[in-house]
Amino acid sequence: MWDGLVIGGGIAGLMAGIRAQERGKRVLIVSEGTGSLAFASGGLDFGTVEQLRKIERHPYALLGETVEEAFAYFLQCCPSYHGAWGRTGMALTPLGTLRAADLLPEGLDASPLTHANRIVLVVPEGLKDFFPEVVKANLQKQFISSNIQLKRIRLKEFADWQAIGKPIPDTVYAKFWCSEQGRETLKNLIGEITRKMVSDSETLVFPGLHAAACPEVEKILAQAPLPVVEMTSFPPSAAGQALYDRLRGRFKALGGELLIGSGVERVEVESGQARRAIVKSKGKEISFTAKVFVLATGGFFGRGSVASSTEVRETVLGLPLYVPPEWSESRFLGEQPYAYTGVEVDHSLHPCDPVTGKVLLENVFVVGRMLAHWDPWVGHCGGGVSLSSGFLAGGLL
Amino acid sequence: MNRRYVRRDGDRQADNKLNLDPARGEDGMHLDACIKCGACTAQCPVAAVYPLFPGPKSVGPDAERLRLEGIALAPGCLAYCTNCKTCEVTCPSGVCITDMILQVRRQEQEAGTGKAICRLGMRDHLLGRAEYLGRLGTLWPPLANTVLGWKITRRLLEKTLGISARAPLPRYGRKFRTSDIAPVVGKTQSHGETESYGETERYGQSEEHGRGKTEHGCRKTEPSDRVKTDRKGRSTQKVVYFPGCFISYNDEATGQAVVKVLEHNGFEVIVPGFHCCGVPLTANGRFREATANAQHNLGLMQPYLEQGIPVIASCTSCGLALKEDYPRVSAPGAQRIGAQTYDLFEFLWVLHERGELRKDFREVQASLAYHAPCHLKAQGIGTPSVRILRLIPGVKIQELDAGCCGLSGSFAFKAEKYELSLQIGSTLFQRVQGGVKEKAFQAVATECGGCQVQIEHGSGAPSLNPVWVLYQAYGLGISSAIG
Repeated sequence: MWDGLVIGGGIAGLMAGIRAQERGKRVLIVSEGTGSLAFASGGLDFGTVEQLRKIERHPYALLGETVEEAFAYFLQCCPSYHGAWGRTGMALTPLGTLRAADLLPEGLDASPLTHANRIVLVVPEGLKDFFPEVVKANLQKQFISSNIQLKRIRLKEFADWQAIGKPIPDTVYAKFWCSEQGRETLKNLIGEITRKMVSDSETLVFPGLHAAACPEVEKILAQAPLPVVEMTSFPPSAAGQALYDRLRGRFKALGGELLIGSGVERVEVESGQARRAIVKSKGKEISFTAKVFVLATGGFFGRGSVASSTEVRETVLGLPLYVPPEWSESRFLGEQPYAYTGVEVDHSLHPCDPVTGKVLLENVFVVGRMLAHWDPWVGHCGGGVSLSSGFLAGGLL
Repeated sequence: MNRRYVRRDGDRQADNKLNLDPARGEDGMHLDACIKCGACTAQCPVAAVYPLFPGPKSVGPDAERLRLEGIALAPGCLAYCTNCKTCEVTCPSGVCITDMILQVRRQEQEAGTGKAICRLGMRDHLLGRAEYLGRLGTLWPPLANTVLGWKITRRLLEKTLGISARAPLPRYGRKFRTSDIAPVVGKTQSHGETESYGETERYGQSEEHGRGKTEHGCRKTEPSDRVKTDRKGRSTQKVVYFPGCFISYNDEATGQAVVKVLEHNGFEVIVPGFHCCGVPLTANGRFREATANAQHNLGLMQPYLEQGIPVIASCTSCGLALKEDYPRVSAPGAQRIGAQTYDLFEFLWVLHERGELRKDFREVQASLAYHAPCHLKAQGIGTPSVRILRLIPGVKIQELDAGCCGLSGSFAFKAEKYELSLQIGSTLFQRVQGGVKEKAFQAVATECGGCQVQIEHGSGAPSLNPVWVLYQAYGLGISSAIG
C-alpha cells in the first residue's frame, strides 16, 4: 500500500511526488513514457497571475496563494533556476528572438544582452536545428547598437558526425561540454574569446551549452570574465531534459519510485474511493494499491483525455469532463476552446461532477493539464498551473 | 486499425474494424501513434555516441512507413541497435519501437540479407550460443578461465572472430546444479511428476549446500529454520526457477542464494533442465533457434504452468523474454507463461503485499547504489528490489539512474563495438566512481549479470546481485561485497 500513487510523470506529477515524499509520504509515480518535459524549453511560464485569478473557474482562481508558494518551492528544488515573483525574465528562442519566461535556468537568462556593445555568437559546427545567420539577424534587430560577431567552432570529437553530414543534437553537445574533455575545451574557448575582448561589455551567446545539467560547467561559467547566455532549442531539448532529470533525481533521492514505460491502464473504484491502479506490465496486469491517487495524465497530449468525433473521454478513471460546446475556432492562432476541456475540481483538487458540482472521489486529486478551464497558450501559464496544482496535491496527499 | 504496436489506447472497439493482412505483419499500420517527437532517439544510448546509427525513430516508426511500401533499409542498418528497449520505455505515446526493429531483423535473416560477412556470421553463431559456450566453459572452469585469460587467446579471438580482446568476458564457474544442495531425503524424491522432464532438478527443504567459500564469498552457515509448511500451516508451495545462462555457467553461487531465499520463504524450488531463454540468439539474428529454445522451455514449464505454479526469473533479460516473447511462441503453455512469470523481486514484493514475506531480517550495514538493468525497466514493474532491500534494517540504497551500462548481452564483446559500449556506459561509470570516492556507497547492486560484469569493468567498483543482501539479512550467509 502506497501513501500516494501519481499517474503521470510530467511536471505536475513530479512536483506532487516530490512534495509528498518530502513530507514523509511513500509515493509511486507511474508514467507511460518520460513525460513531455523533454519537449519544453526549460523555461516556465506563470502568466499574469493576478489577471488570470480573476477569471471564474480558472485553476488560479481555485489555487489562490498556492501559486506563489509553488513558485518559491520550485526555486528551492531547482537551485540552478532563477526568477522573482512578479518580474518576468527573457530567454532566446532557437531563432534568436526573445521570449518571456518567469522561471529560467540561470544560463538561459538573456538579460545581459541588453547592455552588451558586442555579442559573440558561438556557432558549434553541425549543431542540429541551429541557423546562425537567422539568429544573428534577429539579434541585430533586437539589439540595434550591438556589434554581433560569429565565432565558429569545430570540434574533432564530432569528426564522425561531420564526415557523414549528420546534424548533432544539442543533447549530444550538452553531454560533451559536461565531459572532462569538453570542460577543458570550454575553458580554452572562453579564454581565447576573452583575450580578444575589446570592451568590458561583451556577451557570449552559446547554443548547445546547458550548464544546468552539469555543476562543473556552471562553475566554469561563473568564473568566466564575461556573461554567457545560452539558447533554448527545438524539442527534444537539452534544457527541458535537464529539468526533467533534475526533478526526477530529486524525487528518487527522496525515496520515491518512478515506474516508466507502462502507464496506468485504469483505476478501480470501490464505494466512492479509488482503490488500485492497474498497470499493464509485460506479460500481465499488475495492481498497486494506494491511499490517495493523483491524476496527472497530461490532457490530450499525454493521452489523459482522448477525443473521438463525438465525445471526449478521461482515460484512466472515466471521470466526466467539462467539454466546451464548440471545440475549435477558425483563427489558427486564436483562442481554441478545446483547450478548456478537462476535469472540474473543488478547492482541494477533488474531481467534481460538471453538472451537479458534487465531489466524485474523495481520495483523488486532479492536477496540471487535466484541469478544466484554462488555456496554457493564451494565458501563458502552463508551468504555473502545473507546478502549483502539483505542489498543492503533494501537500494534501 | 491495428494496434499491435500501440500498448495503450482508448479506441479499442475500432481496432477490430479494419481487417489487415495478418501475413504481412500489417503492423505499423497505426504508426499515427508516433508523433515524431524524437524523444526515443534523444534517449537512445547508442545514437548519442554513434552517429552512424540513425536512432530508433528513424529505423523504427520512420522506416516502417517505407517498409510498408516495400522499401527496405540497407541491411546492417539495425546492427547497432542493442535491443535495450530504452526507446520503448521512453516513448510518451506507447509505440513498440523495438518490435518493429526486431521484425525487420527477422525478415532480414529469413531473406538472408542481414549478414554480409561470413566471419561475423560465425561470431553471431557463437555469441548467440551463450549456453553451449557455458557448457564448454563449465566442464573445467579453471582451464577455460586460464585460456581465455591469455592475451594470445584474446588476440586470436579478435583476429579470427572479431571478439574484442579487451571486453570483459565473464569468468566461468561451477555449473549451477542441484547436487550442490543436498536434498532432504524422502521429500524431494517423492514428487514424481518431474521425473520425465529430463534434467529436471529440484530443491527441497534442503540442508545447506556443503561448500565453503564461493565466488561471492558466502560462508557455510548453519541450516536456517526450515519450514515444511508455511506459517499458515499450508503445505509448502512450489515455484519453478529459471536460472538463465549467467547463473548456470558464470555465477552459480547467486543461483544458490536465490534458491535459499525462496526456500526461506517456504517455497519448494523446481529447476527443470532449461535451455537458454533465447535472448542471445535473438540478439545475434538467430530467430529460429530462439523459437526452438522457447518451445523446449515451454514444454518443460507446461505441467507446472497448468498447476498455476509461478515461474521465477532472477535474470532480467530472461524474465523479459518469458513475459514478452514466449507468449508469442506457438507452444502449449504460451498463453500462461506471460502472466505466471515473475521477476524474483517482483515475486517477493507480491509476497510482501500479501503479508507473506518473511521479515526475520538481521541488520545489514550496507550502503549501496542501485543500477536498474534496461530489461528490468522494460518489464514495467518498477524497481521492486529497491523496495525489498529498503525493508531491511541498516540497508541504505540509492538508485543511480545513469542509463544503460553498454554491455547489452554480447554487444560489447564485438571488437568494433567494444569502445562504443564503454562510451555508452560512461555516465554510469563516472557516477559510480564518484560515489565510491565520496564514500556515498560501497558497491553497486543490480540484478543483471551482464550489467554487473560491465560495471566492474568500466568503473572498478564491486557489483552484486541484490539477492545477496537479502541472503545475508535472512542469516543464510555473508556476502563479501557488502561485508
